[in-house]
Amino acid sequence: MHIFIIRRLLQLIPVIIGVTLVAFLIIQLIPGDAAQVMAGEAASEEQLEQVRENLGLNEPLYVQYGLFLADLAQFDLGESVRTGQPVMELVAPRFWITLELAFWGLVVAVSVGLFLGILAANKQNSFRDFGTMAAAVIGLSMPNFWLGLMLMYVFANQLGWLPTSGWGDWQQIFLPAITMGTAGAAIIARMTRSAMLEVIGEDYVRTARAKGVKERFVIYKHALRNALIPVVTVIGLQFGYFLSGAVLTESVFSINGLGRLVVDAIAQRDFPVVQGTVIVLALTFVFVNFVVDVLYRVLNKRIELN
Amino acid sequence: MTTKDHTPVLKVENLQTSFFTYDGEVKAVDGVDFEVRENETLGIVGESGSGKSITSLSVMQLIQSPGEIIGGKIELNGDDLLQKSKAQFAKYRGNRLSMIFQEPMTSLNPVFTVGHQVAETVKIHKKMGKREAHQEVIRMLKLVGIPAPESRAKSYPHELSGGMRQRVMIAMALACEPELLIADEPTTALDVTIQAQILELIKRLQESTGMAVMIITHDLGVIAETADQVAVMYAGEVVEQADVKTLFNRPLHPYTQGLMNSIPRHDVDVDELEVIRGTVPSPAEMPSGCRFAQRCPYASEICNTHPSLAAPSNNIDGHTDAGAVRCWIYTDEWDAEGNPMKNEEVQQGS
Repeated sequence: MHIFIIRRLLQLIPVIIGVTLVAFLIIQLIPGDAAQVMAGEAASEEQLEQVRENLGLNEPLYVQYGLFLADLAQFDLGESVRTGQPVMELVAPRFWITLELAFWGLVVAVSVGLFLGILAANKQNSFRDFGTMAAAVIGLSMPNFWLGLMLMYVFANQLGWLPTSGWGDWQQIFLPAITMGTAGAAIIARMTRSAMLEVIGEDYVRTARAKGVKERFVIYKHALRNALIPVVTVIGLQFGYFLSGAVLTESVFSINGLGRLVVDAIAQRDFPVVQGTVIVLALTFVFVNFVVDVLYRVLNKRIELN
Repeated sequence: MTTKDHTPVLKVENLQTSFFTYDGEVKAVDGVDFEVRENETLGIVGESGSGKSITSLSVMQLIQSPGEIIGGKIELNGDDLLQKSKAQFAKYRGNRLSMIFQEPMTSLNPVFTVGHQVAETVKIHKKMGKREAHQEVIRMLKLVGIPAPESRAKSYPHELSGGMRQRVMIAMALACEPELLIADEPTTALDVTIQAQILELIKRLQESTGMAVMIITHDLGVIAETADQVAVMYAGEVVEQADVKTLFNRPLHPYTQGLMNSIPRHDVDVDELEVIRGTVPSPAEMPSGCRFAQRCPYASEICNTHPSLAAPSNNIDGHTDAGAVRCWIYTDEWDAEGNPMKNEEVQQGS
């Protein structure tokens, strides 16, 4: 198991290099002169030179990348070209907010998704099955921001049970978490259902019944443990999507997270901030995938990493 | 070996199991009767689709939808099993009757250790605690001949060979000393040398516990090696039933004869093995008469009527207690109809 984790960590190195390279190239890929774009049309030649100097754009590409990596290793993501604040200071607090939001979204997605998936699989082709799966399709098809607005309208505006927006209070968690988790719940429900149905037909489930294991344990112990293996992967991916997809939910509920930061930064052409956010999100995604791999291994003893 | 006055451990009467598909009802098992006594092994033999596996799964009540047991009676030492509720019957499974399957590769749950899986049985039925169950697991694994049982108990199924997994299955099935063990093609997926070991193991354990054993197989070699009584199944019915010596010395049903002639023998030199022409009739076009008639070399007018399973009539020289056969040839009607085929000539086939 330790060897597995170490090997898996070593495999992360090229992935991280790739991620940083892509993030680094963002600035290079801006059409035209990056300094011009950032400084604006009216900037004088001196101002442009200043921006180039600050960003190190006068150096050769590989030197720039080297400097970029060296800074990154010291958790230095550069400064915002608008406010001059270090990007790290802008990103860090918002990152926690987004992480928290994604976490609660995941709680909704996993609990509702697993519950409905098992419920549907247990009575295949019943009314319950069709009902659950129809609900899943609706949940999946609903635009996230629209669902957010509807929830806000009903529960905050009409019923007045929950606050409309903001972040920090426990009451403020519900609506954004549901908004975020609904589509994920739908995907997890469908995945759980199909995985359960597949596993229920396996020989070892029959063996469990032949041993006299009660039907409840046949389903929740012998079948579910195996069905969870593919579901865990989907859950991990969902978490990644939640992080990157937080933009919409954050906008709807006026939550000052990473999503809003990046949207604002793009609007203001504050590329160091965009770059910093991309790196933080990408590295988080990579880390989540690593955790999923380890979990996968814990659940499925047959995985060997060659 | 067999004492007739003993009440049977398992008594199956007129068992009917059907599958309800979109194309209509498929009678997989259609009126099967048999008995297994203490310390006795019943072999059920037949080709794929003969209903032998469905028969065994019916006894364990492991038939899944769209299949259903639609009639008959299954008694375990006098207890009517089909009258039990699901919860009541769960207490029998793995406890008073248990089963091992064809595929040891897929029959064990890949995410639990084998020790855990064997322990589960005794925890459920014997209400053993963790430590006690562990002791029992080690004892059982040793009993079925697994080397280093202490460390093997911590292994996952994929870390064991097919033969070892089948031993684990046997340990699991026998942990509660069942009155009846059903083995559905227990050696089919294994190497020949391992096959012999597994059969030997089952036999040894039967001798020490006196349990009744039902072996389901398509392999007459396995039958010859293990069974005391044999039931030959064809298209959902038992077509011949006899003790193993009688059956091999003098197979009566043309299907049984065909089966015997289609396997190579070491004592007779033949250039070509016989085959049974044709295939099993599909359930949709099951003939109303004898189900083997289409493939039977002796088929006659009378075979359009369904024969019943009965002791052969006296006209077979001195073999009145030769079990039972579902074939018109061994009835008085056959002679009365003046069929050209004499019994003596039929016998030459074997």
